[in-house]
Order: sequence, then structure tokens, then C-alpha cells
Amino acid sequence: MSMQLEKATTWFNSIRSKSIGQILIDGRALFALIAIIIIFASLSPNYLTVDNLLIMSKHVAINALLAIGMLLVILKGGIDLSVGSIVALSGIVAGYLIRGVQIPGTDLVAYPPLWAVVIIALAVGSFVGYLNGILITKFRVAPFIATLGMLYVARGVALLIADGKTFPKLQGDPALGNTGFRVLGQDTFLGIAPGVWFMVVVAIFTSLLLTRTAFGRRLYAVGGNERAAGLAGVPVDRIKRLVYVFSGFTAALTGIILASELTAATPQTGETAELNAIAAVVIGGAALSGGRGNIRGTILGAFVIGFLADGLVIIGVSEFWKMVIKGSVIILAVAIDQAQQRTVTAKKKDKAAAESRKTSSSRGDKTKTNA
Amino acid sequence: MLKKSLAFLGAAVLALSLSACAPAAVEEEAATTGGLIAIITVDQANPFWQAEAETAKAEAEALGYTTTVADHKNDPTAQDQLIDTAIASGAVAIILDPAGADESIGAVQKATDAGIPVFLVNAEINVSGVAKSQIVSNNAQGAAIGAEEFAKAMGQSGEYVELFGNPTDNNAGVRSEGYKSVLSQYPDMKNVGKEVANWDRAQGKDKMDSLLQAHPKIKGVIAGNDEMALGAIAALKAAGRTDVVVGGFDGNGDSAAAVKDGSMAYTVLQPIVTLAKMAIAQAHSFLTTGATGVADEKQSVDCVLVNPDNVANYTFWAIG
Repeated sequence: MSMQLEKATTWFNSIRSKSIGQILIDGRALFALIAIIIIFASLSPNYLTVDNLLIMSKHVAINALLAIGMLLVILKGGIDLSVGSIVALSGIVAGYLIRGVQIPGTDLVAYPPLWAVVIIALAVGSFVGYLNGILITKFRVAPFIATLGMLYVARGVALLIADGKTFPKLQGDPALGNTGFRVLGQDTFLGIAPGVWFMVVVAIFTSLLLTRTAFGRRLYAVGGNERAAGLAGVPVDRIKRLVYVFSGFTAALTGIILASELTAATPQTGETAELNAIAAVVIGGAALSGGRGNIRGTILGAFVIGFLADGLVIIGVSEFWKMVIKGSVIILAVAIDQAQQRTVTAKKKDKAAAESRKTSSSRGDKTKTNA
Repeated sequence: MLKKSLAFLGAAVLALSLSACAPAAVEEEAATTGGLIAIITVDQANPFWQAEAETAKAEAEALGYTTTVADHKNDPTAQDQLIDTAIASGAVAIILDPAGADESIGAVQKATDAGIPVFLVNAEINVSGVAKSQIVSNNAQGAAIGAEEFAKAMGQSGEYVELFGNPTDNNAGVRSEGYKSVLSQYPDMKNVGKEVANWDRAQGKDKMDSLLQAHPKIKGVIAGNDEMALGAIAALKAAGRTDVVVGGFDGNGDSAAAVKDGSMAYTVLQPIVTLAKMAIAQAHSFLTTGATGVADEKQSVDCVLVNPDNVANYTFWAIG
């Protein structure tokens, strides 16, 4: 058993010590980003300006936050299709609370303070993630199906709470003591939007979580080989539940930021957001089969998608071409990734074969000398 | 411990919200002998279609009918299935906001063949004599009066951008063409960017963010509906731009409030409540007398401009 743990650790360390292949994979998203910036900057003088970079980063942050949660789920070998709906649900919960909660059986309306609104909205998102985790670990529902179901359930609950309507004017009322919601999406700090700061904080935290903690090592181990990790004593189910809770949490955070940016919560927010998040993770070099991927790549992936989408708006490409171009970039990125993976695996195999030949021949020598 | 308390908190919030919705569910059980009217709309998550569905439901129930309300989300296949369900459940009439002018012909024909009269609201189909009534708001006329007001608010000169609805929805094109035909008559006004924002507020905001970067000199934004216009207003506010004229379309409650506080120059009210009431009245007339009581199958109702002059008279989807 300890040998297997050792194996998993060695295997994990081989991921951490950057092989040439790994650098290429990271580099690919970076090269794509640089290419996108050069192309659009040469097509429009308004692309590479400080103002526009700030706006684009604000858009990127939304997808990046979702993608970070998604990365953890994908590292584990799962998928979370419910994040777009959780974005809507948590935004609607925040909007509902800010607009005031009628206390049943009385004429009283409660206006929770902002911190309580945020905590409850985050808790609701995390709870939906927890439900995903329970479905997947306790009821053994495949992640694709469990989170697909939750995509509908969470969106439906958001629509029920809002009665299909938008909660507008979420700035709060000083008389009720629930103002300040704009801090989460609108008030810039050092000229940079709150969403971007949230992205930076969550990215650093998650990066440390993945590279410096037992949780991170175990997560990679579960994604790499779930059975081996389980035999080695990794609490597989607990790890799985935690990543879905985390994914729900980042989705809820995203929902709150979006509602603050619009000063309104709409139950349609975040439709197909899960697909953008998955695309960012995959462009960032993660394997959908689990066990491979990192925060740096994922953030770069989100920047590639965001800088591409906004660039196409700035130069005024037709909507239909936008879809074709975006889809092609995703496919191209993953195709290159696959090609690189093949060469890396082939090299490793060659090396392993050479080494095993070496060992067996040296053993042969030994036998001879002994004889 | 933390996990448990999180779970409890989440469950409490869910329970709270569910109990808040409970009274609405009870209302639906007002069973009567009038028969079932199936109301099929586009998407009740949008306040416009919600007003359409709710008006039709309330009017029908006041006349003693039971109702079902369903969404087809502009998907002809879903629409076809909902028509099948309405036929199977023995509906006496169908009120339909059709999903596409050509795509919906077969579904309407099927219901008519099954002996169920169909009354179309808000959008039409490309044949006559199949549906009993086709009651639409005049989108072209609405776009024209909106564009005139937009030109006036911009002082008939300057650069502007346009936010376009869902390209697969006929009305997106009709409104955009209507804007173009009016605004192209003003030589000093220039459309410098047209972006699809799919009728959606969040997309309207994101596209406006980028359009402001690409065209910092713009003086106006004309949107295909109110949700996109409200998104554009959020983007303009974030950029500290108060000098940009914003025009909407639909006339929902949020946009009327925006016209009132000055952040939106105008919106064009679609008389959706009137349309839904007309459809139910004609269905009732047809079911009781055998005729809709209206000479023409295709009926077009004009849109109304909502601007600071008359916004004080705005009530739920109507100018009083």
C-alpha cells in the first residue's frame, strides 16, 4: 500500500518538475494569446489600449473564475455542467435578499445586511455543488448526468424564485442598511475591476492548494488513477465532493459579481457559461480524462477566449463568423495539444524502453560475473 | 460541521423560496366547464412573453376556461410537441406565439386538422386560412417611430451603434431594417457598429463595453429590445458616460423606470397585453358563435412611443 502511495507521489512529482512537453503545453496557450493580441492590435488601434485591456480583463475574469472551479473538477476526471445555472441561482438569491424577504405570517420585510446576502448566496452555490458531489459519490450517478440534471434544476429554481423576472436596482437603500453591493462588481481598485481582483486571489489560492497541499497531490492522484489512489488510502469520495463544492462556490462568486456589475439579477444569466469554462480549461492544456492541468494554463485559456471574443467585437466581425472562429480556435488548440501529448508519450516510452534494456543487460552482465 | 451548516442554510433558503411561490400554484385549480385553452408562448423567463402568457391566462380563466401555459423557446420541434400535447389533452382552443413564420405552419395545420382552432399572437405565419386569427404588433411601424425619436434625441447627427436581437428571430431583422430605413435618411448620422446581443441584458452590457472601446466617439445606442438597452446603460454607467442616447423596444417595466430617471431616452411599447386580450376574446367568440367576430384574419396593432413626455402614464405594458 505504501508503495502505491509512493508511486502516486513520484508520478505527481514528475508532473510538477516541468518536462519539456509541459512547457510546450503551457506555451501553446501563451503563444495563442500573443498571436491574438498582435492580430487584433494590427487591425484596430483601439484594441491594445489600457482602457480596453482593463475591460477585456473584466470579461475574462468572469470566465476564469468559473474555469478555475471547472479545472479542479476536470483534474479529478469529472465535469460540472451546472456552473452556468449556479451563476444565475446565486445572483438571483442575492437579488432576492437585497430586495427584501417577506417574513411568512407577518407584514414584516427583512433586509439582511450585505455580508449576510453574500454569505447566503455563496452558501447556496456551494450547496448545489455539494448536492452534485453527493449524487456522484453516494448515488454513483455519472458526473455528466448528475450535473446536467442540476443544470436544469438550479436554473429552474432561479426562475421560480424570480418568477421569471429580473430583480433590478440592487444598489440597496441607505435607510435599510443594505447598500454597498456595487463594491463587488463596479468599484475599481487601482483602476482594476473587482472581478479581476477576485480572479487573482482565487487563482493564487487554488494554485497553492494544488501545488503545496496534500489535497492537491491527492486530487491529481485521484484524477490520474482513481483506483490506485483509493488503494493508497486517498479518501476519493471526500476529494470528489470537495471539488464540486469548490466549483459551486466559484460559480456563486461569479454570479454575485455579475449581478453587481449589472446592478440587476436576471435568471437567464450564465446560459452556456459552463461550455466557455470547459473550453478555457482545455485550451489551458488540461486533459478531460483527469490528472493533468494547472491554474496557469487555465487562466491563459480564459484570456485566449476572452481576448478573442472581444477583439472580434472591436473589429466588427459578423456574429456568425464569430462562432465559427471561436469554435475553430478551441478545436485547433486541443488538436495541437493532442499532437504534443503523443510526441511526449512516445519519447517517454522510448526512454523507458531504453532504460529497461539497460537494466536487463546490466543484470545479465552481473549474472555472468557471478558465474 | 461547516458542511452541515452550509447544507442547512441552503435548504432553508430553498424552502423559503418555495413557500413564497406556493400561493401561485393554488390559483391554477379554478376548474370550470368552459374547456381547456392551451397557451403556448416563447419564454416566460422574459417579462414580455410572461406578460403575454399571464394576460391570456387571466382573461381565459375569467371567461370560465381552464388553461395550460408552456414555452417552446423558439424551437419548432418543441412547439410541435406542445401542439401534440394540446391535441391529446383535448384543448378547445390554442393560443400560440409561433416559433418562426414558415416553421410553424405544419404545427398550426395539425391542430386545425384535429378540429382545434388556433389563434396566433405576437408573430405570424406565412399562410392565411389555417389559423383563425393572426394578431401581431406592428414591429415595422414601432421601429420607425422609435428611430424617429432616436434621431431627434441625437440632434440628427453623430455616430451610433446598434444592438441586434437573436438573429434567428424574425422580429430582430424587422426592427433593424425599420431603424435603418429611417436613420439612413439622416446624412449626418452614422451607424459605426452592429452587434448581436441575443435580446439579453448581460450580453448587451458586454457588447457595449467593447463597442465603447472600439468607437469612443459614439453619441447613441439603438437596441432591438429593452433588455439589451438596459445592459448598454449598465456599461455606459460603468464607463462614466452620461452623454449617450439609449433607445429600447418592448416597453417593459424596467425600461419605463429608466425612461423616467433619464438613463433611457425612449422605448417603444408593444401592446402585448392588448394582443393577448384580443386573442382570448376572439377565441371565446369563435367557440360560442362559430366566428371570431373580426373581418380579417391578419390583424396588426400599432406600437406606442414611451418617452419622458408620457412615461408618467405608463402602467403594466400599456400607456394609460
